[in-house]
Amino acid sequence: MAVSYWRERDRYYRILGSKCQNCSAEFFPPLYRCRKCGSDKLSDHEMPQEGQILAYTLLRDPMTGFEDHDPMPIALIELNNGVRIVAQLADTPIDQITVGSKVRAVFRRVRVNGPNGQIFYGYKFAIKNEKVNLTR
Amino acid sequence: MRSVSIIGIEMTNFGRLEKSFKEIAAEACVGAMQDAQVPPKQIEEFVLGNFSSGTLVQQETIAPAISNSIGLPRIPATKVEGACASGGIALRYGYQMVANGLRDFVLVAGLEKMTAVSTPKATETLIEAEDREIEGRTGLTFPGFFALVTNRYSQRFGTTREEIAQVSVKNRRYGAKNPKAQFRKEVTIDDVINSRLIADPLRLLDCCAISDGAAAAVLCPTEIARKFSKEPVEVIGISQVTGRGAAFEYEDLTGFDSTKLAAEQAMRMARVSTKDIDVLELHDCFTIAEIVASEDLGFFTKGTGAKALQEGQTEIGGKIPINPSGGLLSKGHPIGATGIGQVYEVVQQLRGSAENQVSDAEIGMAHNFGATGTVCVVSILKR
Repeated sequence: MAVSYWRERDRYYRILGSKCQNCSAEFFPPLYRCRKCGSDKLSDHEMPQEGQILAYTLLRDPMTGFEDHDPMPIALIELNNGVRIVAQLADTPIDQITVGSKVRAVFRRVRVNGPNGQIFYGYKFAIKNEKVNLTR
Repeated sequence: MRSVSIIGIEMTNFGRLEKSFKEIAAEACVGAMQDAQVPPKQIEEFVLGNFSSGTLVQQETIAPAISNSIGLPRIPATKVEGACASGGIALRYGYQMVANGLRDFVLVAGLEKMTAVSTPKATETLIEAEDREIEGRTGLTFPGFFALVTNRYSQRFGTTREEIAQVSVKNRRYGAKNPKAQFRKEVTIDDVINSRLIADPLRLLDCCAISDGAAAAVLCPTEIARKFSKEPVEVIGISQVTGRGAAFEYEDLTGFDSTKLAAEQAMRMARVSTKDIDVLELHDCFTIAEIVASEDLGFFTKGTGAKALQEGQTEIGGKIPINPSGGLLSKGHPIGATGIGQVYEVVQQLRGSAENQVSDAEIGMAHNFGATGTVCVVSILKR
């Protein structure tokens, strides 16, 4: 797990996906052949860090490694380029989560004590609050 | 292509079984061969649908392990896997062998032993069927995935919590009469909407259980089926489709294209339409899944499945009786076994021996749905 996590770190740390050099379609996670036009000319491409909530749920009794958050908010998010991503929500009181909320990516601890005792970091999303900037 | 029939079938009780995986598998496999009155030496190949025996019972290479323990040494014994659709996949591979003339007698089975590990461990194992690299890593579970589906569906169609709960009420009412079901107690709308929250808005009684169980069937060419069985059931259509592996891959989470395509292909192959189907066993892993699939399969237009349910159109006597066995919500869901278990229920209906019998059922459909719609198998059977 540790090695594979390290190998995939760009995805988890920077939301690195792919962009098709032929038709400009964007994807996350990275693809090895374009799903729209079939081209094999794809390059690394960072996803936008903002989007909005399309759907969400609050997971009760989360799985091993996620017990710190009960309930654990998790959302289907549409990024500003139209690409979708599922992520935990952070820094947000659960009664403030609504469909349509604008969110931005934040860098957080995602899972503690994975199968081999590591701590995994990566993206989560936080609801954008115009008054208080939560991320910086 | 030769016509293929099921000449023998058996299913164990589903639930927390105090038996080993081999005992469970043997009960179904030996039972199916007895039902078919085919001696073991006549079986030429064994196909087993199983999801995660390595993690759940620490046994890989499980198909040969079972084959050897049920008096079928030497013949090819192969495991096939597609999460909750593993059983349906096994049926389809067995079907192809007989249809193509490679084999005359094939034993297909489905098996899962899930209660040997803790519930958190089972939940974690299940999510390995999802796109682990990205979405499984976020902590999303299958109840979580179907909660997102419920959230999207309710936003789009205004479906209420109570309407969705009706799936559980209907299926548990039927399941109460199924002697092989894990849960045989009826529930009310209030029971469902007041049960423990699992993943908002889904609650305990919206979710199928973690279960042990197995089911098996013997296939042979239809032309010789009546030499073995007085009531063979013909497989007139079967299709397996690969769909999307995670929530983020869907443009719209209110329907699953793999179900839609598998149903279209199976019905085209069987030369039937939805109005010819007398009974349907549908993959109701969660309450919302039954509403969504009743639309994707073509029985109701998108957005009207919940209304059809409230009107009783999915009950026995309605337009299309769905899950008269009690479905996964009552029977339990031993992952690899479910697909063949559904076929077992359809065969009982077509033989006229089901507990909740649809009168004069002639054609039945089984809808077996894996992971996030990543695999879907639809089978159509005719007596």
